Amino acid sequence: MKRRRLWPLFWLSLGAVYFFLPLVATTDFSLRAQRGTLSLLAYQRVLQDSQFVSSFLFSLRMALFTILFGVLLIVPTAYWVHLRLPHLRPLIELLTLLPFVVPVIVLVFGLIRIYSRPPLLMTTTPATTDLLLVGGYLVVALPYLYRSIDVGLRAVDIRSLTEAAQSLGAGWGTILMRVVFPNLRTAALTGALLTLAIVIGELTLAQYLARPAFGPYMNLLGKNRAYEPAALSIMSFALTWAAMGTIYWMTRGQQAQIGGGH
Amino acid sequence: MSSSHSRRLSQVFGLLLVLGLLTSACAQATATPSAATQPPAPAEATEEPMSEMDALIAAAQAEGTVTTIALPDDWCNYREVIDGFKDKYGIEVNELDPSAGSGDEIEAVKANKDNPGPQAPDVIDVGFGFGPQIVNEGIVQPYKVSTWDTIPDDVKHPDGYWYGDYYGVLALQVNADVVETPPQDWADLLKPEYEGQVALAGDPRSSNQAIQSVFVTSLVNGGSLDNAAPGLEFWASLVAEGNFVPVIAETGTFARGETPIIIQWDYLALTDRDTLAGNPDVTVVVPPSAVWGGVYIQGISAYAPHPNAAKLWMEWLYSDEGQLLWLKGYCHPIRYTDLAERGVIPEDLAAALPPAELYAQAIFPTLDQLSAARELITTQWDTVVGVDVQSGD
Amino acid sequence: MRRRNRRDARFARPGGPYRRRDLLGLLPFVAFVTLFLLLPASTLVLGAFQGDGGRFTLEHVAGLSQRFILEGYRNSIQVSVVTALIGGAFGFLLAYAVTLGELPTFVRGTVITFAGVASNFAGVPLAFAFISTLGRTGIVTGFVKDLGIDLYKQGFDLYTFAGLSLTYLYFQFPLMILIMAPALDGLKREWREASENLGATVTQYWRHVALPILLPSILGSMVLLFGNAFGAYATAFALTGGTLDLVTIMIGAQIRGNVLYDPGLGYALAVGMIVIMAFSIGLYSLLQRRSERWLR
Repeated sequence: MKRRRLWPLFWLSLGAVYFFLPLVATTDFSLRAQRGTLSLLAYQRVLQDSQFVSSFLFSLRMALFTILFGVLLIVPTAYWVHLRLPHLRPLIELLTLLPFVVPVIVLVFGLIRIYSRPPLLMTTTPATTDLLLVGGYLVVALPYLYRSIDVGLRAVDIRSLTEAAQSLGAGWGTILMRVVFPNLRTAALTGALLTLAIVIGELTLAQYLARPAFGPYMNLLGKNRAYEPAALSIMSFALTWAAMGTIYWMTRGQQAQIGGGH
Repeated sequence: MSSSHSRRLSQVFGLLLVLGLLTSACAQATATPSAATQPPAPAEATEEPMSEMDALIAAAQAEGTVTTIALPDDWCNYREVIDGFKDKYGIEVNELDPSAGSGDEIEAVKANKDNPGPQAPDVIDVGFGFGPQIVNEGIVQPYKVSTWDTIPDDVKHPDGYWYGDYYGVLALQVNADVVETPPQDWADLLKPEYEGQVALAGDPRSSNQAIQSVFVTSLVNGGSLDNAAPGLEFWASLVAEGNFVPVIAETGTFARGETPIIIQWDYLALTDRDTLAGNPDVTVVVPPSAVWGGVYIQGISAYAPHPNAAKLWMEWLYSDEGQLLWLKGYCHPIRYTDLAERGVIPEDLAAALPPAELYAQAIFPTLDQLSAARELITTQWDTVVGVDVQSGD
Repeated sequence: MRRRNRRDARFARPGGPYRRRDLLGLLPFVAFVTLFLLLPASTLVLGAFQGDGGRFTLEHVAGLSQRFILEGYRNSIQVSVVTALIGGAFGFLLAYAVTLGELPTFVRGTVITFAGVASNFAGVPLAFAFISTLGRTGIVTGFVKDLGIDLYKQGFDLYTFAGLSLTYLYFQFPLMILIMAPALDGLKREWREASENLGATVTQYWRHVALPILLPSILGSMVLLFGNAFGAYATAFALTGGTLDLVTIMIGAQIRGNVLYDPGLGYALAVGMIVIMAFSIGLYSLLQRRSERWLR
C-alpha cells in the first residue's frame, strides 16, 4: 500500500514546486509596494476601488450563464455525435478547435459588425450585449468544454447504457436527463471549472463590447503600475480558486459514484 | 436511484440559475446605469443669437456622451483631461480599451460603422504615421477646432482630417537602485557595465516607441533620417555585447530590476517616476546627442455616433486649459509655442519639464522618412539584430 | 410503444446505419457555431483574399512565403508540439496521482480546483510570475546564485524557446489534469483486479489494458493542448515579444500594432493557422481510428 503511494506523492510534490514558485515570487513582489518593508499597500490600493467587487460579480454572473448554456448545448451534441454520427467527429472537432486559431480581436469585431445593425441589433442595450458577450465567451470556451464532455463520454459505455434505457422504454428526453447527464457529472464539472476560469480572466470580448467585466477592470488598474498588477494576479487567483472550490464542493457527492475509480 | 440523480441534477442546475440571478441582483444594486444614447440633436437657431460654441455645447450635451479609446490614465495625464471635460460640460465619457494600439482603434472604427451603441469610438488618438491611412480609408471626418491656426502646419492635415495633439522626446528611464551610474547618452548603452540591462518598451515590429528607439540610434551610428540601417546595426552590437534584455519592459519588470534601463517617451518616463514615488528611484535622461521627437494625432471617427460631443471634445483638447493639462502630464502640447508666446504656461509646470534647449533641437522625421524606416526595421530586425533563439534549445 | 423500441435499438448499435434526419440533432450546435463563430470569423477568410478596393487577390497568401513568416510557423508549431507532449505526459502522471494514487480525498479537490485556476493563468501575469522566478533578477536565480551557480552564465535564459515552453507548461499541465481525471475515473477497478487475477504485472496491466483504453482520450487531450499553445498570444508576447517569431504575435503586429497595419496579411496568417489546425485534426483522427480498434 505504501509503495503504491510513493510515486503519486513524488509527482505531486514535483508539480507543487513548479506551480507554487512563480506564485510565491509574484506574492513576494506584490508585498514590496512600500520601499524597504513588506506591506499590504498594493492590496489596499486595489481594494479601495469600489468597482473591484461589482466587476467580479458581473464576470461571475456571465460565467454561470456561459456554463449553463454551454453544458445544455454541448452535452446533447457530443452525445449525439458519439452515438449516431461518429464519422462526423473529425469535422465537429475541427469546428470546436477553430476558436484557438481565430484571434479574439477578430471575433469581437466580427460579432460587432454582424450584430450592430437591424434586424439583429444587439449592441445597444446592456441585456442584449450581455447575450452577445455570453455567446462570445461560449465560443472561446468551446474547445475545452467539448473536449471535457467528449472524454467523459468515452469513459462511460454510453452505447450500452442507451440501448438498455431504450429497451426499458425510455424516450430521448429521459435518456438525456437520467442517463447521459448524470454520468457526465465529473466531465461537466471539469468543463464548468475551465469555463469559469476563462470567463473571469477574459479581456478582449468584454473590452470591445464595452461591458464592465473583471478582466478589463484588472487591466485598467494595473496599467503603468508595478506592484498593483502583482497584487491583482494573486487576488484574482485566490478569488477564482474560491469560486471553483464552491462549485466543486457543491457537486462533490457524485465523484465517488462514477466508474468506481480506484 | 436514477430519480434521486435527476433530482440532484435539477437541484444543481436550479442552484446555478439562482446564483446567476442573485449575483445579477447584487450587481444591479452596485452597477451604475449606462448612459442612454440619443440621436444627435441638430444645432438649432433660436431667438437669441447663440455663438457657434454655445450651439455646439448644447448639441453635445443633447448627445450626452462621447466614446474614447486607447487613452490610459497615466498617458499625458488623460485622467485629468477626461475628468476636466466631464466636470466642465456634464457629458459622460465612455472609455474603451486603454491598451488599444493604433491598429485596434482603426479596426474598432471600421467594425462599428453601423453601430450606434457604446462600442463605437467617437474619437481616435493614433501615431503620426497613420495619418495618410486614416484619410484614404475614410476612417475620419474633417473638423477644424477654433484654435486651428495655432497648430503648426507640418503636423496637421490641410483639410482638417487629422491634427497633431502632443509630442515628446525619447528618453532613458533608469532604475537608479539597480544601475549605479545612469547612461547619459545613446553611445553609453554599449558600455559593458550595463550588461543585461537595456530594454525596449515594445516589440520593434508592432510598437511605435520601439521602432523610434531603433531609428534614433541610426543617427549616432553613422546613419541619417533617410537611412535607418545603422540603427539596426547599433542594436545588433548591443545584443552582441550582451547588454540587451529581450523582454518587453513594463513598469513591473522595471521596478523589479529585470529591465532597469528602458527607452521611452519622456512623458511616460517622468510619469513612471512620479507613480513609483521612489520605490524604486528613477532617473530620467534625455540623451543630448540625438533628441528624437514623436507626435501623435487626433481625429473624429467618420461614423461617430456622437459627432457633436466629439467635436466639443476636440475643442476641449485644443483649448488652453486642455493643452495645459497635457503639459501637466509632461507631454508637450502641439500648441506649446503659441502658449509660450502668450505667456500662459505656469512657471512650475515649465520647470518640471526637461530643459527647453533640448526640445529646441528635437528632430521630427517626416512621414516618408518614418514609413521608410518602419519598412526597413520591421522586416530586418530579425535577421540583423536576431536575438538568436534556437528552437529545441 | 414496443415497436418503436425495437427499431431504435437497431440503430443504436455502433456502425449501424444512420438516417439523414439524425443530422437534425446537430442543428442547435451548428446554428450556434455559425452565428457566433463562423459568420464573425468570415472576415478572416474574406480579408485574406481581398486586396485594396475589395478585389480578389492572392498577394496576402503569397506573402506567407517570406522567410520570417515561415520561421514563425515553424516556431509556433514546435512550441505547441513540445508543450503538448510534455504537458500531456507529466499532466497525465499528475492526473493519475490524484485519481488512482490513493491519496487522501482532500488532495483531489485541491488539485482539481487549483488546476482549474492555473489552466487560465496566462498572459502578462504568468510571464511576470516567471520573470520574477527565473529572470535575471528572479528569486530562484538569486537563490541559486547564492549557492554559487550563475544560471545565466551557464547558458540558461528565460527569454528563449525553452523558457517560453517552460512557461506555457504552467497552463498545459492543469489542462491535461482536468481533462484526463474523468477518463481515469472511468477505469474500472474490476479490470485492474481481473488482470491481477490473471497474473499480469502492473506494467502489463497498463500496457495492455489501461493505456489502450485511455489512448483516444489522451490523444484528444494532446490535440487540445496543441491548439491551446498554438493560439496563445499574450504570454508569448509578454515574454518573448520582439525576439521569438510566433504566428500569433505576427498576426497581432499586423492587426493590432502601432506600426504595421496590413490586415490582409494578418488574416492570411490566420487562415494558415486554420489549415495547420485542420491538418493536425486529420492526423489525430487517423491515430484515433487506429487506437479505437482496441476497444469493442
